[in-house]
This record gives sequence, C-alpha cells and structure tokens, in this order.
Amino acid sequence: MNRREFGGLTAAAALAMAGPFRAFADETCQSPYMPKITGQEEFVYVWTLGVEGMGDEQDKMVTVDLRPGSSTRGEVIHSLSVGGRNEAHHGGFSADRRYFWTGGLDTNRIFIFDIHSNPAAPKLHKVIETFVTDSGGVVGPHTFFALPGSMMITGLSNQDDHGGRTALVEYNDDGDYVATYWMPTADDMQGAVAVDGAVADGYGYDIRALIRKNVMLTSSFTGWSNYMMDFGQMLQDPEAMKRFGNTMVLWDLHTRQPRKVFNVPGAPLEVRFPWGPNANYAFSTTALTSQLWLIYEDDGGEWQAKSVAEIGNPEDIPLPVDISIAADDQTLWVNSFMDGKTRLFDISDPHNPSQIYEKTIDRQVNMVSQSWDGKRVYFSSSLLANWDKKGEDDVQYLRAYTWDGTDLVEDFNIDFYAAGLGRAHIMRFGSSALYSA
Amino acid sequence: MRKTTLAVSITAAAALLTGVVALADTWRPSDLLARLTPAALRTATTPFSDIFPSDPAFQFSPPEPGSYRLNRLKPAPDGAVLTTNGIQTRLHQLFDEKITLVSFVYLTCGDVDGCPLAFSTLYDIHDASAQLPGLRQKVQLMTISFDPERDTVEAIAAFAHPVSSDPASAQKLDWHVLTTADAEALRPLLDGFGQVVDRGSSDDQINHLLRMYLVDTQGMIRNVYGLGLIDPRLLMTDVETLLMAEAAE
Repeated sequence: MNRREFGGLTAAAALAMAGPFRAFADETCQSPYMPKITGQEEFVYVWTLGVEGMGDEQDKMVTVDLRPGSSTRGEVIHSLSVGGRNEAHHGGFSADRRYFWTGGLDTNRIFIFDIHSNPAAPKLHKVIETFVTDSGGVVGPHTFFALPGSMMITGLSNQDDHGGRTALVEYNDDGDYVATYWMPTADDMQGAVAVDGAVADGYGYDIRALIRKNVMLTSSFTGWSNYMMDFGQMLQDPEAMKRFGNTMVLWDLHTRQPRKVFNVPGAPLEVRFPWGPNANYAFSTTALTSQLWLIYEDDGGEWQAKSVAEIGNPEDIPLPVDISIAADDQTLWVNSFMDGKTRLFDISDPHNPSQIYEKTIDRQVNMVSQSWDGKRVYFSSSLLANWDKKGEDDVQYLRAYTWDGTDLVEDFNIDFYAAGLGRAHIMRFGSSALYSA
Repeated sequence: MRKTTLAVSITAAAALLTGVVALADTWRPSDLLARLTPAALRTATTPFSDIFPSDPAFQFSPPEPGSYRLNRLKPAPDGAVLTTNGIQTRLHQLFDEKITLVSFVYLTCGDVDGCPLAFSTLYDIHDASAQLPGLRQKVQLMTISFDPERDTVEAIAAFAHPVSSDPASAQKLDWHVLTTADAEALRPLLDGFGQVVDRGSSDDQINHLLRMYLVDTQGMIRNVYGLGLIDPRLLMTDVETLLMAEAAE
C-alpha cells in the first residue's frame, strides 16, 4: 500500500529523482495519512514551554531553519508566543499537513497553527478553549494523531479527580468537537477482552494506527495530579507512584471500539508502528520499568504483547521517553531522560532487539526526531516543566546530529535558555515544497 | 502549466474507464439477486459487503453493520455544479435526501493510488448495486471534478457515457458525474469538504489528497476515507450502518 497521501507528489518525486534511489527526508513515525516531505526537511517546529522570568515567559512555536545553504541554517528564524504558559507538550499535523495542532497539558487549550501559508513563519489559526467541556471532562490533551478529516487526541486525565482515567477525543479538521471515546476500565470494558489478567485502568498517553490491519493502539501514563507535581516530590510519594498506567489497549480503528487490554506495567509511553508492508507489530517503552515492549500479531492472527529487551539498567530508572523507528524498520532510537542518553537498537528481528550504540546527548534528553533517510537526528530536552532537572542539570536545547552509520556527529546546537526561549519539547519537520505558493 | 486539449482529456478518460471496466470484469459477485428485494433490504442478514470479494490490500474484515456509530463530522457544503447535460444545479439538490458517496477526482489523473482508485471503487459499487435493486432509492454515487478547466461538461459526459448508457443502469445506483463552471464555483465545495488540491506543480499533475466522503440523508458528512479505507466492502458497510441508524430513528 502506498502510504504517501499526496498522490501527485509521489509521481512528481519519481520524475525528479530519476536515479535508482529515492531519498526521503521526512520525520518517521508520523500518521500514514499525512503527505511526506520528499526532499530535505526545511524547518523544524519546536513547541516550547515558557519559563517564568525568561523572555516573554510564554509558550511559543519556535521555527528553526534547516534549509541547506541558507545563511540562517541552524538558527531560530521565527517565534510565535501564544499568551501565557499552558504546559506546552505534544502536537501533530492534520492529515492535509496544513495545520499543526498542539496542546497544553495544564490549561487544556489547543492551539492550531497554520503552517502552509508561510512555512517559515507559522501563524496561529485557531485556539480551542473548550476541550474539557466539549469532551465531557477529559483533561490534558496529549497526542494529536491525524485521520482523514479529523484529529484524534489522547487525554491524560479527567476533571473529576485529576487522575489517570481518561479518553480519546475526536475533532473535525475545522476544530469542531466530534466525539469522546473513554478508555476501557475494569468496570466498563466496552466489549474489550483483558489479556493475561490485565486490569484495565482507563489511562491514556499515546496513539498510533496500522491502517492496513484496522488497528489502533493506545498507551498509558499518569494524571494531572502527578504530571503537574514536582518530580522529586512525586518520587517520594508512595501513593502518587501508584497512579501510573500499566496497560495498552488495542482498538478497532474504524469503529473506535476497544478490543484488547494488555498488561504493560510501568507506564508505556510512545507507540510506534514500522512502515513495512508485512510489519504487523509496534514498539513501546515503559518509563518506570525501562523495558522495550513489542505488541504484535501472532501466527494465529491474534495480537499479543511482550517485553523484548531492557533499556539500560532498569534498577537505575533511566526513564525511557521518546522513540523513533527508522524508515527501513531496522533500527530504533530510544531516549532516556534521566541519564540523558540515546540508544540505538537493532530491531531487524523485532522479537529479539539488541542495543548497538549509545551516546550521551546531555544531562537530560527527551524527544527524538529522525529524517526519513535516517541521516539526520534531532533531539530536544524538556519532559515536563515540573519534571525537568534542576539547577545546572536543567539544560534546554535543540541539537542536530548526522548519523554516519556508526556515530552521531553534532551538526548544530541551539541553547534555548541562552536564547530566552524556554524549554524545548516536541519537534516536527516542515517544508514549503508541500504547498504551492 | 501545460494545457491539454479536450480530445486528450476525453481519450484519457475513456482509456481510464476502459481500465476500470476491465478491472471490474475480473470478478463476479455471488448470486444474491433473488434474495435481496427492496423489502429485504431492511431485513437481510447478509451484509452488503458480502457481494464484494476481499482485497488483499485490506487485511481485515468489515465490522458488523450497525455495530458501531458513525459520527456527524460536519455539514456537507452547497454550491453550483454542472451535470453531464450541462444543467446548472445545486449540490444540495442533488443529494435528494439520499445517502451519497462523494469523491473529488479529475479525469486525467494518472496516479494509481489517486483518482483511478476512487473511480474503480465507485465502479465496483455501481456495478454490484444491481444485486441490491432497492438500494437506488436510498443511495447514490457522486464524483465532482476538481479540474473544471479541462473537465468540461463535454468531457465528463464522454467519461460518464458508459455508465449512463448502461442498459442495466435503471437497476443500479445513480452516479452523478459533475463539474463546475470554474475554479471560483469549485472553491466552496473543496473548502467545505476539506478536499486539498494543490496546482503548484509545473506539469499536468494536480497534487491532491485522495478522499471520499459519506454524506447522510440530512446532508451531514458521516465519514471521510483516505488510502487504506477505500474498500467497497467497508464503504458499503458504512452505508448499511447509516441505513440501519436512520431506519431506527
């Protein structure tokens, strides 16, 4: 199946690149519905948390120039503040890739940026202020996953108890509310089956889909009362530490109905499906137990979940955060926040991954985005405002590297604190080549 | 942008349709004709999707009709359109309180994962609908050109001729093949549906997202389909689900 939705661009790219190789530069692990960049990524948008006493103190969309040969390559060329701090966190493009939706985990505001009118300078298109009331009480808009004509948003919490029970919320592309799908709980399984005695906790975090199999996967994290708490304080609070999700849920993508609940203890975070036409599996990592998990379709056509590797020494709680599968499905980058490391796993046999490389990026690291050809890898630093490290360990940056096949070689480094910008969180690539003038 | 002549457009359209017909001729639906009378439409236990063969590209079975909810995404837009007879009318008039499968296409599209896929899927549904003779009172198909400059009334009429001249057309779903007077008339339809079309390239190719839309009898968009979902079995399961929901209301 051709996953690249801009049909015309497929043909245009084939014509433009007459050689035997077709290089792609887009970020991997995005919604298959989105059109892809077929050349060098031109910009990276960094959704950035404002910091009290720094610059204008506001959350902002920061644009960094990646254009080869540009006199401002590796520099911030645009910054758009949104008015106040919202606990800026994740975001995702709409399926037509003309808008970049981002969320604030604290204020529940959703900011929709127009990135097609001028890809070098996004502008704020719409702000959704009614996420909690629209959704019937969901708090903490997190992942934004593009579907044709709509956006599926995971929540992290709810307004009743600010705990981890939450839902998926769907908006149409105009930013109008469509529906809420509450996560299954032990008391209300909604037709889902618990696998191996899993206890459905109703938690949520990330979402990805394997369209060809009509499968959607969600993971789980923790609620507002934890993610807005000081990290050190939370670690010392035994009750708070009990409030983390231990499940992943397999959904019917088309009907939005939960099918299976898996035991995945220790807060499984990012969910990533590979691209291969026969790759019927996904990876996730557990933040608290530091394991790499495989959710896969077995030979009998049943979906299963199992731990397939450890990340660092789990007893040290390196806290795995973002992951990224290469476009050829052979390797997986895994970042761990506490030790500031990125690790590369060989996943050519997804049931037996093995680490083949590691590098310390800095004293803390969070998100990773790699280009479609795998040659450029970008890292950002912030986890959550109250969870980032303190003092001199609190380093905030966007770092660009080239991957030469054996080593990450630093390309450029932007110190977000020195620039007065704040805490660099999620990154997404942009290119003017996707749009006509 | 290089211009193509009307003759080229029609030739391309004819070639395209020939290919579509050839594709459709590679299978024969099972014999459900005797069982599926109009009255049986509401009571038949065999899903509509069963009249289509499964496609290896879709590695799942459609859900049970009526076992899920189709959300109301937003109202379908209205606008002035031209029929194959050159008659100007409004899109909402053509909806005619029927469930409508809408697709934006252009006749010279050569991307196999683009308009030809939409055409062939609609053709599959149109052809097989002869086995659901009561359905044409409730369901219809619609294609709207997003290339009005080349897809003139004459061009779409030529394109639609094999369908409109089909001796069995009275037993099949209506298929409205439409264009617009110009880009200005087209704009509100594209914007309203959310169909992205990008004419920025220097050749005849029009960059576009492949989309199909399910519109209910009240003119509400109830689903949007992209690659991976444009399967006649899935589309007809949604149609059947809408029919069941509307019958229950």
